[in-house]
Amino acid sequence: MGPEFVLRGYPRRIARAVVDAMVPRWPEFDVDLTDDVLADVERTLRGYPPIIQVAILGSLFGLEFLSPLFGPGLKPLSRSERHIAIARLETIANHPIPQIRMLVMLLKVTISFAAYSRPDVEAFLGYRRREWRETRQALRARLLAADPAKLPAVPAPLADGRVVTPAEFLSFLAALADGHAEQAAG
Amino acid sequence: MNERVQGHGPVDFIAEEQKPAAIITPADTRGDLFITADVVVVGSGAGGATVAATLAEAGLRVVVLEEGDWFPTREYSASVPSMLSKLMRAGGATAMMGRSPVPYLEGKCVGGTTVVNGGMCWRTPERVLHEWVSERGLPELSPRGLERHFEEVETTIHARYQDEGSQGGVNDAFKRGADALGWKLSRNKRNQKHCVGSNDCVTGCPSGAKQSTQYSWLPRFFNAGGLLYTRCRVKQIVTERGRATGVRGVLADPWQPRRFTVNARAVVLACGAIQTPLLLQRNKIGRECGHVGRHFTIHPNIKMSARFSSPVENLQGTHQAWQCIEFRDEGILLAPGAIPLAFMSAIFPEFGPRLAERMRDARYIATGGILVDDHSEGRIRALPFGVPWIQYDVTDADQAKFVRAAALMAELYFAAGAEEVYTPFHHLPVIATPDDIKRLYQRPPRVEDTEYFTAHLMGTCRMHGHARGGVVGPDGQAWDLPGLYLADASVLPGTIGVNPQVTIMAIARLVAEKLADRLRRV
Repeated sequence: MGPEFVLRGYPRRIARAVVDAMVPRWPEFDVDLTDDVLADVERTLRGYPPIIQVAILGSLFGLEFLSPLFGPGLKPLSRSERHIAIARLETIANHPIPQIRMLVMLLKVTISFAAYSRPDVEAFLGYRRREWRETRQALRARLLAADPAKLPAVPAPLADGRVVTPAEFLSFLAALADGHAEQAAG
Repeated sequence: MNERVQGHGPVDFIAEEQKPAAIITPADTRGDLFITADVVVVGSGAGGATVAATLAEAGLRVVVLEEGDWFPTREYSASVPSMLSKLMRAGGATAMMGRSPVPYLEGKCVGGTTVVNGGMCWRTPERVLHEWVSERGLPELSPRGLERHFEEVETTIHARYQDEGSQGGVNDAFKRGADALGWKLSRNKRNQKHCVGSNDCVTGCPSGAKQSTQYSWLPRFFNAGGLLYTRCRVKQIVTERGRATGVRGVLADPWQPRRFTVNARAVVLACGAIQTPLLLQRNKIGRECGHVGRHFTIHPNIKMSARFSSPVENLQGTHQAWQCIEFRDEGILLAPGAIPLAFMSAIFPEFGPRLAERMRDARYIATGGILVDDHSEGRIRALPFGVPWIQYDVTDADQAKFVRAAALMAELYFAAGAEEVYTPFHHLPVIATPDDIKRLYQRPPRVEDTEYFTAHLMGTCRMHGHARGGVVGPDGQAWDLPGLYLADASVLPGTIGVNPQVTIMAIARLVAEKLADRLRRV
């Protein structure tokens, strides 16, 4: 337990089955995320306090042996086919008793965070988050470098009777920071 | 090693690149630490940093102890799990128990929760302050009494309106819906300087625009000569002859077990509404009053979202630029809430293939939240071995408000042109048409069918004008232990109905001024 927490043996097999059921898959996205996400989840678990690590292990064994009560099939979760595992986990995640839902929820959040903050998944969904952050940081650095007192009221320089789009405004600010205020306003 | 508080060079933006000399990590020292100061402040968030800066500027020798680490802005990465591990207590895996468990977030880093909040800046509503004056016996908290503190706070943290045009599509969609319905909107002031819409408020602002205490109160504190020690977990409040005279604890040094002791004329706890009562309970302080850990309010909120026919581009923009205050008299606040993709994936009840299909439309989805004034009170207890137990039950009356608010939010999204609205109710996760809204009333979701969330934790060591009514008096000093002061969200005398950071800072400043006066007189 603690920062050296590692999933080994049987718990790792259950965790892999849960991750495999939960990671996103799209026909056009030709990457199997299971092992990478499992490694990310393991890293995340290491940052959790020991009591939560114990709770996670408890949840894994609970899902392994109790999940047959909630869905198709009789085998333990780690020996079930993926579609059966998914069906059982969804039933548990939407169970009317919240304490039963909790068996899945923390794992679901941990796995979703790991999967959906991956650059390849973000890119597939049309996001360029890292690039966006870099452009924003650069823009702000230029804004701060410009003399704030010289910043004209906004959005007056562009408005002139029409609505300014966010993109227009931001490019205006960028041009302004570069010292081309008149050009931007024009 | 013996250390005393001493001066150092000026500090501008401490979150920039290099660690200021005034921030002392375990790597900067060796062996056990013995520190002497006028005041030791535990915690560097909204309350702790404000108190520390105010006291240091009054000429007192102040040290701040922070349990978490210091991270410069350049280390705020785009990886959500990594940032949660760095900045949040328990990596964000925290929840309170009840009829439906409520996950919550609590910052654990230099700057505390101000590093990971949305940056909303609201003064305490006047009706709330009047209640505190009349029902809690706290004339110091009148609107007039707090006015100058509010002004100082807003100036220091740069509470300003968002630059026009940088709000982003999530906020624009929300405004479009409210405008179409004629509902009153309030533009948010946020503690930011030229926020450029990175939409990463909740995992640490990557551009440094958010003026968390790292950018506001702590530079003032350091410039006044204060020192801040990181990775210090306080375990014991030291008392002598019935007075608090310092703290002891352990230094989280990865290489060797180490301890620290701080002797001081006064101890200020500002660890937040959960850790402060736990620390008191573990030290058996405040048991006589019977209020430690009680009166816990959380502003429970639920997440709603909607899919539009054209991209909302929720990646671009700020977390929350508006709030709909049309229903504030009913205790309902509707708001947009732009969040990173990973957080969006967590708010839908589906997972696996079905979640993947939902997330295909992520760029078309606007997210938002509903906050209600809660009338329930939870409780925090330290179980054997210091294990925390946090209990909070959403009441049926508050749930009725959530149902009405969800219907209103769905109406707003449809008015804005949404094609589908998503709810946090397990029995009705999707509202496909405006006609479907009435299904919420026909079969109202139970508390147990609802997924909640909160980041506003308050009131567990409430301030009260009478010793039998609360844990601390109007000066922030514990009724049961002279020399011990509290200055964080735990002292709020009740729920406030708005984002609490400005209220916490204003009350912390009030407490600090009174403490400075007292120490200077002695």
